[in-house]
Amino acid sequence: MAKPILRVENVYKKFKDTEVLKGLSLTVYEGEVVVIIGPSGTGKSTLLRCINRLTEPDSGDIYLEEQKIEPGKSNLSYIRQQIGMVFQDFNLFNHLTALQNVAVGPIKVKKMEKNKAMELAMKELERVGMAEKAGNYPAELSGGQKQRVAIARALAMDPKIMLFDEPTSALDPELIGEVLEVMKDLANAGMTMMVVSHEMGFAREAADRIVFLEDGVVAEMGSPEKIFNNPEKERTREFISKIARLNNGCKDQEVL
Amino acid sequence: MGINLSANKVLASIPYLLEGVGITLKITALALLLGTLLGIVLAIIRVYGSGVFRQFAIVYSRLIRSLPLLVILFMLYFLGSEIIDIPAFWAIILALALHTAAYQSEIFRGAIQSISKGQMEAALALGMSKYQGIFSVILPQALRRAIPYWANEATIVLKDSSLAYALGVTELMRRGEYVSARTSQPLLTYIVVGLIYLILTYAFTKSMARVESKVRIPGLER
Ligand SMILES: Nc1ncnc2c1ncn2[C@@H]1O[C@H](COP(=O)(O)OP(=O)(O)OP(=O)(O)O)[C@@H](O)[C@H]1O
Ligand SMILES: [Mg+2]
Repeated sequence: MAKPILRVENVYKKFKDTEVLKGLSLTVYEGEVVVIIGPSGTGKSTLLRCINRLTEPDSGDIYLEEQKIEPGKSNLSYIRQQIGMVFQDFNLFNHLTALQNVAVGPIKVKKMEKNKAMELAMKELERVGMAEKAGNYPAELSGGQKQRVAIARALAMDPKIMLFDEPTSALDPELIGEVLEVMKDLANAGMTMMVVSHEMGFAREAADRIVFLEDGVVAEMGSPEKIFNNPEKERTREFISKIARLNNGCKDQEVL
Repeated sequence: MGINLSANKVLASIPYLLEGVGITLKITALALLLGTLLGIVLAIIRVYGSGVFRQFAIVYSRLIRSLPLLVILFMLYFLGSEIIDIPAFWAIILALALHTAAYQSEIFRGAIQSISKGQMEAALALGMSKYQGIFSVILPQALRRAIPYWANEATIVLKDSSLAYALGVTELMRRGEYVSARTSQPLLTYIVVGLIYLILTYAFTKSMARVESKVRIPGLER
């Protein structure tokens, strides 16, 4: 694969006494879809948050293409603009309509002209199938619709990479599909993506690489076929069968 | 018959009392304007500031809230007469503003902290500065939530403006005092004065409730 978009090098992060990330390294290449799996509390969210500096790592380096991501520097805002972030609980701005939610980034951050930003926002809403709800406020949308708007909001900044932190785990089961569809479309369109998710179906279909995170480091990684069918480590196998059981889709069972 | 006559005198002085209402409203409006701005700034410093600024906001609020308003008023007024001359009209406005700012900083702080953390994180993740996050994302939501509590505090300011009588400002309360003395009808006079305060407070509370529902975010519970 071609050029690296994101390089995480030897990152450590500790909260009080708990060491969460213990020298984690990971590179994501252009156009690649990396799905991150791992037990609860293993540092998946912390990793994503360290990447755009919502959480400050203790040590280690993170690069977006050739730019080092550093706090306190004026480039932090510029870097964040290039990293789309999708949260588990959406975090749409409650006081703004769907359209305004998507437009506000370009307007405030990129100083885009308002009309142009609204046009762009409408385009992004169409892309996630939410154009009809452009005038609705977040509280008037279902969870799946909110998450699609949140994806559009991130896309409107024209990011180089999109980070997803369990984008479907706050959703009712019947709403998960619509969000995964949008993400698959994105993947097919060539977006570089880093997705924390235990949706096996999505991982198998869309992922180029699965990364199994455990105990603050990358325990194992490889193609979906390898990780699902033929992992090197016993722990990986155990974990995969555990989430397959939790996913409880029969499609997932046949893998084992 | 004599009673009736002086009762009529009280009623006849209602226009005089109403002129005082104008001054009362002026004092209240200016005190609220200054106090609200200061209260919001203090709340922002409380939540997002650090070091001495944050410490100052905390101490300010605690100190002011432990002083009787009348003490603050007299301190300002006599500080005024000894150093720079603060006219009574401005002394009461300043005292009310400084006083209500402390209470309002607590109201706005609570409102800001009631907005989920994820809102600021989403703003930062888009590349907004903290400043942009506060003004474009947090405050528009927090201020809406604060409206009923702010409205309540505002009616307290309106009523507290009556303390201006102690400095001889001829607002509603002071005029009530004159009328009471002139007519020898203190009870009736203060009933009339009280009714006027009641009407003002009621009208204000009603209109704030309308504002609240007008700016409510569609679909949101509160
Ligand atoms: N701000 C924080 N302060 C203190 N501890 C934290 C903080 N954020 C995370 N932690 C701790 O760090 C560890 C890793 O958390 P993290 O959220 O990264 O895990 P995760 O892999 O995303 O788990 P999950 O699958 O449950 O989302 C947990 O033990 C958590 O309690
Ligand atoms: Mg997590």
